[in-house]
Amino acid sequence: MTKKLLEINNLVVKFGGVTALNEVNLHVNEGEIAALIGPNGAGKTTVFNIVTGYYTPASGDVLVDGKSVLGLRPYKIARAGLGRTFQNIRLFGDMTALENVATAADSLNQSGLIGSLFGVPRSRRDEKKSMETAMELLTFIGLDHRAHQMAKNLPYGDQRRLEIARALALNPKVLLLDEPAAGFNPQEKVELGNLIRKIKDRGFAVLLIEHDMSLVMKISDRISVLDFGQKIAEGKPEEIQSNQRVIDAYLGVAEDAS
Amino acid sequence: MAKFNARDRFGDWWDKSNPAQRTIFRIVVIGFFYALPLLNNPVIDTPETSFKSVLFYPLIMFSLMAVGLNVVVGKSGILDLGYVAFFAIGAYTHAVMSAHTSLNFWEILPFAMGFAMLAGVILGLPALRLRGDYLAIITLGFGEIVRIIAVNTSAIGGAAGITGIPGPTSIFGFEFTVMDPRPYYWLTLTILCLVIWGVLRLTHRKPGRAWEAIREDEDVAEFMGVATLKYKLWAFIIGGAVGGIAGAIYASQIRSIQPELFTLNLSIMILACVVFGGMGNIWGVILGAVLLGYIPEKLRFLSDYRIIFFGLLMVVMMNIRPNGLMPRKKREKIGEKTS
Repeated sequence: MTKKLLEINNLVVKFGGVTALNEVNLHVNEGEIAALIGPNGAGKTTVFNIVTGYYTPASGDVLVDGKSVLGLRPYKIARAGLGRTFQNIRLFGDMTALENVATAADSLNQSGLIGSLFGVPRSRRDEKKSMETAMELLTFIGLDHRAHQMAKNLPYGDQRRLEIARALALNPKVLLLDEPAAGFNPQEKVELGNLIRKIKDRGFAVLLIEHDMSLVMKISDRISVLDFGQKIAEGKPEEIQSNQRVIDAYLGVAEDAS
Repeated sequence: MAKFNARDRFGDWWDKSNPAQRTIFRIVVIGFFYALPLLNNPVIDTPETSFKSVLFYPLIMFSLMAVGLNVVVGKSGILDLGYVAFFAIGAYTHAVMSAHTSLNFWEILPFAMGFAMLAGVILGLPALRLRGDYLAIITLGFGEIVRIIAVNTSAIGGAAGITGIPGPTSIFGFEFTVMDPRPYYWLTLTILCLVIWGVLRLTHRKPGRAWEAIREDEDVAEFMGVATLKYKLWAFIIGGAVGGIAGAIYASQIRSIQPELFTLNLSIMILACVVFGGMGNIWGVILGAVLLGYIPEKLRFLSDYRIIFFGLLMVVMMNIRPNGLMPRKKREKIGEKTS
């Protein structure tokens, strides 16, 4: 049986009187690209905000590699193995591309501030390692030539990819991508699809939120569909495409005239 | 038209220079500042106050405090309106401990630093859970609380403060007397150099990246594995330590302190140095501190009107350069695409 790297069990999330997620079960297996789709406001980003520790759910559990991360501070969850990107790009604008990635890589070492101040050997080693990891990831993502440019000055597409590199620097068990293709033209979407496959080949499991169906259908191993906070379907891309409930959720159901 | 950019010119030169050239450059610059009180230059001299005492207070004191506050405000993006509290704690530590113990200034200095750091933790632990305006209000309150406690505690002199504070004992042949502010200037300059060295070390490494990430987007920093509370607390502790040292030196030089020396005005002044010079850029911040300390003294011939001119100058400058005189800006290098 394949290992579940991310498991979401019976998740219930309420904002005031609104139930944003109701008894949602999701999981991401080792080495797969899982997709989470659904109409706007279905609760997809809320899932990301829950698993990364930004909100606390009313009930339910989140397990990363078999261990519950519920109630942990977001930085601890990040270190436990969840790296994420954001729907609206949220880079550290006034830092260089390299520093953006290195900041995330830093959290994998235990070097403290005193060590950095006096330049103890361990701190020097960790510093070097962070920089090497960051540069290697920038090369992987194809942004090594922009390493010393400010993140805010990068073109839009590069900013999106830089976010992915930054999340990968956490060496996550599962990479959470929140609409990575938003604003991309068809050619860029194809390139992004290839990149996500390359990320999978490097051994990262991916959970993808995306609105572009052709991209989702092409690269996903498994798709879950959310609608109004409920999971309405789950299965292989072909199964989802022909699922009547999914079609209804996206296109709406004709009201009965009677 | 190619715009002349002194910063880029200097940066290019610095990148190309070899270690020997850099060392010479450093020695010349630092040497110039050590020699400053020995020069009698009518251009930079202040007409109505002794330039030597202006050098100590406000110039070098403001610079030291501004460098400390810059770690908090400029690097980590935490608006601290009560920085004067750390300065006061350092000053009172020296005043009280030298009266009640047999320790001399040099032995008290670590305590002044330590108590200010402790104050940073005490303030920071509850306060840093808040952000933005709310945090600013708490720091503002903290600054006032420290001053009001000093006013109302008779054991440390109440509103009258403490007089007869001893100066530092002589060291390396330097005598610290009431009449001559120069040794105090040299002492503070030495500490400033050490602080700059330490802050630059930190800002170029992991802690600096963590602080900048927090400044740019605290939530995202946390999502990227940065222990934000820990690093914000460290920023407070380091800022506090620098403020505490500055306070102890200040108390040892002026020999008597009153709570009224540590008002909100001074917090605002140091914050103005940071903003005016260029938040997050240590050199800009020092330039800001030097100018904001120097200009009112230079304008003293205008008597009280100088404050109006000073305010006007700040308004004009902040309009021309809203990001400060020397804004933080990393030099961007555009590389060749390899893949």
